[in-house]
Amino acid sequence: MGRLLLVWRLATRDIKRRRVQSALLLLMIVTTTTTLTIGLALHQVTDSPFARTRAATRGPDIVAEIGPDANAGRNLGRQFAPLVRAPGVAATGGPYPIGFVQLTGRHTNVLAETEGRDVAPAAIDRPALTAGSWISPGGAVIERGFADALGLHVGDRIDLNGRAFHVAGIAVSTAQCFYPVSSPGVIWITRGDTRALASSAYPLGYILDVNLHDPNSAQSFESGSAATAFFNATNNDTKSLMSSWQDTEQQDFKVVSVDQKVLLIVSTLLALLAIASIAVVVGSRMAEQTRRVGLLKAVGGTPLLVAVVLLAENLVLAFAATALGVALGQLIAPVLTNLGNGLLGTPPTPALSGQSVLEVAVVAVSVAAGATVVPAVRGAHTSTIRALNDPAHPPRRRPALIALSARLPVPLLLAIRLVARRIRRSLLTAASMTIAVMMVVAALTLQHNDEVRNRVAVVGTSTVAGRVTHLVFLLSAILIALAAINAIFTTWATVIDAQRPTALARALGATPGQITAGLTTSQLLPALLAACVGIPLGLALYQLAGGHVSEASPPVLTLLAVIPGTLIVVAVLTAIPARIGANRAVAEVLRSD
Amino acid sequence: MIEPNASVLSARGLSKEYGKGAALVRAVDDVRLDVARGESVAIVGPSGCGKSTLLYLVGGLERPTGGTVQLAGEKLEQMPEARLARLRRHALGFVFQAFHLVDELTALENVELPALLAGASPGKARRRATELLEQVGLEDRAEHLPSTLSGGQRQRVAIARALANEPAVVLADEPTGNLDSAATTEVLRLFEQLHAGGQTLIVVTHDERIAATADRLITMRDGAFVDETQLTGGTARSITEIAGLEG
Amino acid sequence: MPEAASLPNEEPLGGYQLRVVREVLLALLARESSHGYQLRARLALALGPLASALNDGQVYVTLGRLEKAGLLSSRRVGQTDRPDRKEYELTPAGREQVEEWMRDTSWRKSAPAEFHLKLVAAAAAGLADPVGIVDQQRRELLIALGQAQRAALAEPDGSVAALLLEGVVLRLQADLRWLEACARYWNSMEER
Repeated sequence: MGRLLLVWRLATRDIKRRRVQSALLLLMIVTTTTTLTIGLALHQVTDSPFARTRAATRGPDIVAEIGPDANAGRNLGRQFAPLVRAPGVAATGGPYPIGFVQLTGRHTNVLAETEGRDVAPAAIDRPALTAGSWISPGGAVIERGFADALGLHVGDRIDLNGRAFHVAGIAVSTAQCFYPVSSPGVIWITRGDTRALASSAYPLGYILDVNLHDPNSAQSFESGSAATAFFNATNNDTKSLMSSWQDTEQQDFKVVSVDQKVLLIVSTLLALLAIASIAVVVGSRMAEQTRRVGLLKAVGGTPLLVAVVLLAENLVLAFAATALGVALGQLIAPVLTNLGNGLLGTPPTPALSGQSVLEVAVVAVSVAAGATVVPAVRGAHTSTIRALNDPAHPPRRRPALIALSARLPVPLLLAIRLVARRIRRSLLTAASMTIAVMMVVAALTLQHNDEVRNRVAVVGTSTVAGRVTHLVFLLSAILIALAAINAIFTTWATVIDAQRPTALARALGATPGQITAGLTTSQLLPALLAACVGIPLGLALYQLAGGHVSEASPPVLTLLAVIPGTLIVVAVLTAIPARIGANRAVAEVLRSD
Repeated sequence: MIEPNASVLSARGLSKEYGKGAALVRAVDDVRLDVARGESVAIVGPSGCGKSTLLYLVGGLERPTGGTVQLAGEKLEQMPEARLARLRRHALGFVFQAFHLVDELTALENVELPALLAGASPGKARRRATELLEQVGLEDRAEHLPSTLSGGQRQRVAIARALANEPAVVLADEPTGNLDSAATTEVLRLFEQLHAGGQTLIVVTHDERIAATADRLITMRDGAFVDETQLTGGTARSITEIAGLEG
Repeated sequence: MPEAASLPNEEPLGGYQLRVVREVLLALLARESSHGYQLRARLALALGPLASALNDGQVYVTLGRLEKAGLLSSRRVGQTDRPDRKEYELTPAGREQVEEWMRDTSWRKSAPAEFHLKLVAAAAAGLADPVGIVDQQRRELLIALGQAQRAALAEPDGSVAALLLEGVVLRLQADLRWLEACARYWNSMEER
């Protein structure tokens, strides 16, 4: 026990000694877990929106409609009888009176369809409120798509057929398609109000909600004997309609599908990129841990003990990162999921399910475990002294590069030698930057997405279009922000890593300007690689996530602009910490060794 | 008597403080120092007396909190980093206790580095480095990596590196701190040669042998000079007596 | 040094021979007169565990010899319930001996005890600042070390004389280290 404690103390001491690097590492991992969390939350939203709404609103399997016209309702019982008594019917709701009305609001004058309901919640088709409260005499609940299109909010005053109402609430339902798929839009009011609004110009109709024993048989029911009987009973007098829930779903989906797709693409992108980032971060961390292993072995740890301590350390990091990531995700995700829910016409759901938290935790833990295996195994095989003395791997010697760099001006000399001494680190840096480039490319592709553009054009109404654009913009902004964070951490970590050799160079006569130029240039080499590789990979990933990349989107010039863009950003981001570090007193850096 | 204008390095009222308030530490406290051209000065004192800090201050590797330093005719304390770096190139050569050689470069490549950083052509830098390695007696180790050299050899490479740009002053911080007795002798021999060749040397050391071969010995305690002695002179009588041959 | 008042020859009395007992006793009397028992106690305190090797009678015998040599003078002090004691005092000649000893920087093979007692005596009798004595000796030894080192370096490879010189160098180095420790100790004593 005492040994474990000592070993633990050594390990934590090492973290404290390199506080900045450890903090950077932790922040980086937290960023990735947050990204993962947001991705999962969004994914949840995109998952079968219609099915969720139908379940939440107890949507009917079949809706049968009579009228509205003068003859509807003459003999309701007889007209609906075939359906009520049909085999396979489990329950019915209604019949509910419906009628057309003229809705006039502040800037609107449009035809709408009212549905008269009870104040008490029904057993079948219980519209789910997304805002406000349910109907009351004089209080109307408007279908969500319709409310958006008209720009109506809870509390607004409207006139139905000249009679004053107020908007009591906004709700979603799967009994009919949402506006504008189903037109005119639906307004729920009390039965009394519906009847009061009826006139010879605006006659009433009736709908019946039907639930079957086997919901999946709804479509065959539509063409079954009971349905035929219903049509026969009504055809002579009035018009009648029947639709199944599958019909509704298919109609809805045509419109929803694009939004759903966008959300799905982005959520998948975020998740994949987050996992890739974690892998890169872990890769760089593994290098440091080899020295830790040496230290632990030197104080008497058996290979098993060493592995346990490493694992414990990595697990603590993983759990901390998960907790922080989930917490941050809780703050950020609802904004996106609300937008998403709005788009998809689904009732609000909690942003994070227990399942997604578990998924994030699983990823973090398995990565932690994986990250332990390599250094632990390697440590068990290498000699303790070698592991202690060599920082990670000893810097490699590349005679050709050294000879070449001697002929070049000082900044290039420094840049090449800095890259050459730790090729692996440079590659990891390049990998990290590639991920950032992929994020930017994904954001660009999203912005230029044809389907989104078309969708906006089709729907046309300002609010919905605005919401789609808003969402796309927000998601792109998140991707770019993540790319920026990634880039900052990567460059900063590299500058810190190069502290000792650059301090030495300064002691030998290199000016701060030469050091800054050298460090910056050394980062441009991996940046160039990252940009060239990241663009095609970003497009590929976008397609993998379900998106569609046409020839025009995004424009080739924009994509090519990413290359110089990356170089400039990396140059600036490296120059800042490099400049700061280059002016520190040399003795400080050399002494701390 | 040292005349001010023959000094290659002079410091007045030099101090360096760390921390604040109750935790204030005066690593170097109001030091006055003059070093003449060709002189070798040894600075000794207990650990933590500030001798290394003093060396870094006069070498421009650390900024003083107060006082002035003049090196090769230039004032260091207000100089911007870039100019300091350029001054360091031809005015100073530094030898560290931990050697601080670049692990992935051969001895030759390590020695030529200051010349390259100063902008010399690769050919010129290479030639100079070869000369210097000969001077320190390591010409047959030119292609060796530091990890394959002994401690004494590494320090000799470091000394060669310090000489690359023909510095006005060589500053050495505990050059034999990490070396055993035999390696110390190697370094000692080298310092004697340099001194004989007219190189100005300032050495901070624990080692009495190094201290004893200097022209002037300065003892520091708590950041200040407590003793300064000329070590030249002395009679042969002392050695014979000590060796056990008494008259 | 006046011939009449030179130090008597040291004769081994058996047991441990402390070369510098004469000088120390003289020095201890520089500030005030003392009797044999006190002087012996001070000597024992300064020598610590090594004092056990000090021959019992050595102190008294040496005091007697010093008196005979004219470097000390004594007088009887009467005591009420004990036999009379002899109290010793420095003569001017004795004082001169002491001052010469203080100035002397020769370094003999049995150095530590000698020099150590010199410092103790100097501090006890207020004769000189021990730190000053240490610094002075240090300088001498450093010069000697410098010479020996240079001589060693000048020897060709494989020279057997170089071995001797190396021995001289290393012993001087050791002595210098000890002197540093002395300086630290006496410095901290001063600061109290």
